[in-house]
Amino acid sequence: MTMGKLDGKVAAITGGTRSIGRAIAEAFLREGAKVVVNGRDPVKGQAALDEIGAGDRAAFFAGDASEQTTVEGLVDFTIDRFGQLDIMVLNSGGVHQTAPVFQMSDEEWKLEIDWNLNHVFWGMRRALQHMIPRQCGRILVTSSVEGKLGKPGIPGYAATKHAVNGLVKAAAHEVGTLGITVNSILPGIIETDIVRATGPESAIAMGVGTYENMIGLFTQESAIKRPNKVEEVAAAAVLLASDAARNITGCMFPVDGGTMPY
Amino acid sequence: MAELDGRIAAITGGTRGIGRGIAEAFLREGAKVVISGRDAQSGARAVSEIDGGDAVHFVQGDVRIRADCDHLIDGTVARFGSIDILVNNAGGSSNHAQVAELTDEALEDALKYNLWSTFWCTRKALGYMIPQQWGRIINISSLEGKCGKPGVSIYVTAKHAVNGFTKACAHEVGRSGITVNSLCPGAIETDLMMSEGPRAAESMGMTYQQLLEWYAKDSAIKRLNEVEDVAVVALLLASEAGAGITGSLISIDGGAAPY
Repeated sequence: MTMGKLDGKVAAITGGTRSIGRAIAEAFLREGAKVVVNGRDPVKGQAALDEIGAGDRAAFFAGDASEQTTVEGLVDFTIDRFGQLDIMVLNSGGVHQTAPVFQMSDEEWKLEIDWNLNHVFWGMRRALQHMIPRQCGRILVTSSVEGKLGKPGIPGYAATKHAVNGLVKAAAHEVGTLGITVNSILPGIIETDIVRATGPESAIAMGVGTYENMIGLFTQESAIKRPNKVEEVAAAAVLLASDAARNITGCMFPVDGGTMPY
Repeated sequence: MAELDGRIAAITGGTRGIGRGIAEAFLREGAKVVISGRDAQSGARAVSEIDGGDAVHFVQGDVRIRADCDHLIDGTVARFGSIDILVNNAGGSSNHAQVAELTDEALEDALKYNLWSTFWCTRKALGYMIPQQWGRIINISSLEGKCGKPGVSIYVTAKHAVNGFTKACAHEVGRSGITVNSLCPGAIETDLMMSEGPRAAESMGMTYQQLLEWYAKDSAIKRLNEVEDVAVVALLLASEAGAGITGSLISIDGGAAPY
């Protein structure tokens, strides 16, 4: 067996049963890591594990990533199961009910902050408490092009994705000399399950009518004029998780086909 | 299966420093690589040290001369049959001064070395890449392509220009299977840095050591970057999985750049 880029590493991934998180999980497993994936539904979690087919090297931890007990529980479970945590991927996120600011409810606003921002903070804090004494670690946050831009109709998403980028930069500087890197990946639009499920409603909130128009709104700004793919994000995640990336930190790593202006 | 099996790459200024690191990384992943440089002896020595057999080839040339840029790209195709990956790595600047004292020649030379060279090689390479609908252009820019330290305005200006070129070019060829990106490393103690750094530092009003410490201090890792840091990202961009990354200015600077 050839040497993997992540041999001997242990990773935990919030929202890892499908789409981007799932692709990252599979890429990490291919590179020799042990991986715990998280998701809300134990049945889907078990199905994901069966499909991934990595045996004892993969495990599932059930829970809602917008809840503190889930995120901290995932860190603790991973350390309990595999003895350590080297790579924390804070990937879960999204919107429930898209709406422009003037129609945004407090409930939705709070939910998006819990899901997209607080979840990242809770997971990062718990993981760093474990990583700092060990003087090694990788924190990866799935941000978005909306972490630098701001589309109409998704103000909570844009605000929280900007916020996690700030959190990533500050944390990177805190632990930069401790062998720990903190980076975010900023994917362009990807036709994940969650985008397909919430897309039609988002399209209306964003004022573009149809799901296809919404996808077009994102891809027209890109250079490649197509959505990104989960495998493209996973490849960047493998790089940032590897030992070779020890000097890359505080970076907003773009995987957006040329969408963002900076 | 290596990540760049069957791919052909040309790297300007590939005999030492960052270019050399990228050349070696590409060769390890199965690519054939042409490196260029001004000095034939240094080129021959680099080829011998790299020890890549027939997979590595040196073309003599100065990227500040258009004909040499064209010759490198045509020479790559003549040698290996095509060009899939271009790394515009050669660059630098000298005769630094505060803007009030800066000569026309210093700016012209910095633009020739960093911007015109990138334009010439890219234009020529796109002539091959667009018909084959596959290509990777990787421009070695700098942290100074996003920020601006005093006393080195010619370098800062040239690298910012390269980054603008990267973005525009990416949008032109985005649907042709070609990506165009800039890598923005922080300070790395390459041969070039060691030879040009002291004079740049003088123009910035400090010693070479203080210059290096400044870069380290601005970063999160509190140390300089290394050639290998740049090579691993270049490899990702050059690979199949890099297809979705274009028009990007990727910071490889230990957390120094603010964006």
